[in-house]
Amino acid sequence: MFEFIDKFMPGLLEMLLPRASSYAVQIDVLFDVITILVGFWFFLVLGYFFYLIFRYRHRDGHKAEYISGETHKQKQAIEIPHYLILACDVAIIIPTFLVWYNIKIEVPPPDEEIRIISQQWAWTFQHAGADGVLDTPDDIRSVNELHVKNNTQYTYHLESRDVMHSFSVPVFRLKQDAIPGRVISGHFKPILTGEWDIQCAEMCGVAHGIMGARIFIKSEAEYAAWIEANTPETAQKELLAVNEETISEAKEDPNNG
Amino acid sequence: MKSSRSHAEPFSTKSIALALALVFSIFSSAAAHADARGEQLYRNCTICHGPDGQGIALQLAPALTGLSEKYLVEQLKKFKSGMRGSHPDDVAGLRMLPMSQTLLTEEDMVAVSRYIISLGSSPIEATLEGGDPVKGQATYATCTACHGPDGKGNDLLNSPSLLNQHDWYHLTQLKNFKSGVRGANPQDIAGAQMRPMSMLLTDEQMMLDVIAYIQTLGD
Repeated sequence: MFEFIDKFMPGLLEMLLPRASSYAVQIDVLFDVITILVGFWFFLVLGYFFYLIFRYRHRDGHKAEYISGETHKQKQAIEIPHYLILACDVAIIIPTFLVWYNIKIEVPPPDEEIRIISQQWAWTFQHAGADGVLDTPDDIRSVNELHVKNNTQYTYHLESRDVMHSFSVPVFRLKQDAIPGRVISGHFKPILTGEWDIQCAEMCGVAHGIMGARIFIKSEAEYAAWIEANTPETAQKELLAVNEETISEAKEDPNNG
Repeated sequence: MKSSRSHAEPFSTKSIALALALVFSIFSSAAAHADARGEQLYRNCTICHGPDGQGIALQLAPALTGLSEKYLVEQLKKFKSGMRGSHPDDVAGLRMLPMSQTLLTEEDMVAVSRYIISLGSSPIEATLEGGDPVKGQATYATCTACHGPDGKGNDLLNSPSLLNQHDWYHLTQLKNFKSGVRGANPQDIAGAQMRPMSMLLTDEQMMLDVIAYIQTLGD
């Protein structure tokens, strides 16, 4: 439905930034609907306002007239625009509910999951790795770099280590607050390859303004190559180190000094 | 009505002298200018490290004033290049990572380091308990090679002073070195020297002991 309406819309946001997620079109349509309706009334009322100032300017021989606003005709001046604006409100609120449901409420079954950990003032991304399952030894963790596969349905789990942050990916039209103590899950599906900005959109301290990261949307082959380049060695090493540590601790003689 | 000002000379001798004195004072303060730059740059740091440079535990920020200019500049460079503070588990380091980007040149790093040192270092109260300084002294024998018997460090060996530092910071850094959160970057040569040393501390008790001994060095 949104794709259809989009054909008749100017695409104001898309002029500035391409759409890289499956639901970006919905946000853009909503943005256009609100901008057009509110903009229409803004300029109409402002134009009428200036017209009245000019029309009823001070002139010699004209006295101001007191109007009580009780006659039917006088009331209509308020009533008609009032109902028209209400109709516009309905035209805004119906797509708003639909978009909210599609983006924030309904989470489609994911192809892959990703953990996003925010802190002052960096993003840590935990990628599921080669097996596609989170919290396994082959997970790939990276700081300020999110790597995703194009045309893949993701569910993210957003956390914060300290204060409130907001995970904002303008090219996805996605913005989600992170709240310490909570895991907030949401979803996205990249539809456009490339490298784009991630930013923090909630004032979180002195370096909030430079708390940026990059998202890399890769084709399936590129993503597989990235997984291969980043997983096996480090994951195996880490796994070995963990095992060694536990073994050496278990073996340690308390009388060893 | 004419104002009395119009009768006065456009520039009196007094005002010229005053202007010259001002210009002279600006040039003569050029030497102090570097310090002013450092002070200005350090304002960004005060939120975590405090206006006195003594560090704030809640912000996970260590004391800076006991460190040398060379060490401070080296660490700032490491943070800026991602050699330090870019490990996902380095919570405090990740805070320093973006802040180091605010220092654009090496001159800025030197200026801010000089200002930090000018603040003056003083002993910091212990917060950790359970450390035995006598046992720690034996362990510290290994550390003397780089950090010196007095714990003052040695710039030629890239080892920092351990004095007038928060004990919780020492503990965190020892753990970070041991787990590879710090010093595991292949380019971090000084960190690579400290990593195997931290491995010698087999458990937390040994770390507490050696830290308890380091605390006695400041006296």
